[in-house]
Amino acid sequence: MSATRRMGLGALALGLLAPFVGEPRRAVSGALDFDAIARAIDDGADHVSARQLASWIRARKPGLRVLDVRDAKAFAEDAIPTAENLTIDRLVGAVFKPGETVVLYSQEGAHAGQAWVLLKALGVADAVFVPGGLADWWEEVMSPVLPADMPVAERETAADLSRYFGGFPQVGLVVSGGAPAPAPTPYRRRGC
Amino acid sequence: MNELLVTAAIGIAFGWTLERAGLGDPPKLSGQFYLRDFTVLKVMMSALVTAMLGAFWLGRLGLVDTGRFYVPETFLLPQLVGGLVFGLGFVLSGLCPGTSCVALASGRGEGGATVLGLLAGMATVGLAFPSLEGFYGATPMGAMTLPHLTGLSYGAVVAVVTVSCIGLLAAIGQWEARR
Repeated sequence: MSATRRMGLGALALGLLAPFVGEPRRAVSGALDFDAIARAIDDGADHVSARQLASWIRARKPGLRVLDVRDAKAFAEDAIPTAENLTIDRLVGAVFKPGETVVLYSQEGAHAGQAWVLLKALGVADAVFVPGGLADWWEEVMSPVLPADMPVAERETAADLSRYFGGFPQVGLVVSGGAPAPAPTPYRRRGC
Repeated sequence: MNELLVTAAIGIAFGWTLERAGLGDPPKLSGQFYLRDFTVLKVMMSALVTAMLGAFWLGRLGLVDTGRFYVPETFLLPQLVGGLVFGLGFVLSGLCPGTSCVALASGRGEGGATVLGLLAGMATVGLAFPSLEGFYGATPMGAMTLPHLTGLSYGAVVAVVTVSCIGLLAAIGQWEARR
């Protein structure tokens, strides 16, 4: 018998045996490390502020991957720059490279928080979410009201970051009575 | 750095194997489209069965974690159109991206011309990307796999694919012997 024929028959045998030996082991999937999750929630390692995310995007943080878990329609209307749209059902099938920092956000944060637990269950180590979602992005980055008593350097950094994304930072004026000027209506939408 | 070295070693082995299989030869490759020469199909089928059985059994024995495999996402319409354009280029030049590099490395002018065309095409698509972006992301279907799509178990899909590929290879072998 020729070598080619022997290899063919060997492959055939391995292939025909395959249905009867069960599924390949998946080392990571489905294993929830409850303690690690509880610790991350406790010490705040589970989330990141919208402003911090903005500075990561501007600094082109290596391995940063921003995921928008809302539906495609909402994503098309308005999204954080550099984000990709990955609804929660598609998140389960997605593949994450080691070394990637995954940042999740939704409209107001609840769905992103749920997606975060899902990613932890899938074994994605480096994942965080934006607690206030896109609403936070608008409040903290696009139209932030910076307190007048904030240190000037810090205020300039925040204002600069906002302008980078085309935002309109405002400085809360201290009127003679000491009361700050009325803040603009915050951007909030119903649902998440 | 280490990762780069491993990648380079795998790349050299891949190129060497392609050249040994005779895939640096444009007439041989385009012969597949005219059903004159079945080398391409034979190489593809045997590579597919080898890789699939290797992935399945190494995964089953716990030597590799199949959950960490990267499954490219399906975008039905753009990939259908892309496949047609790719096939047209393949039959015109007699080379695909990998084999064009192999042909160039073995000193073939056709290889160099195809690599240049490849780079020009990539640059053109890159520059025109803003107007192509809508189409590029159209009909997303996520990371699709045959077990997912058919509802069969992974092992059953492996068996079906193995039997079809080996059957086809045997049939090609007989047809070539008769010719």
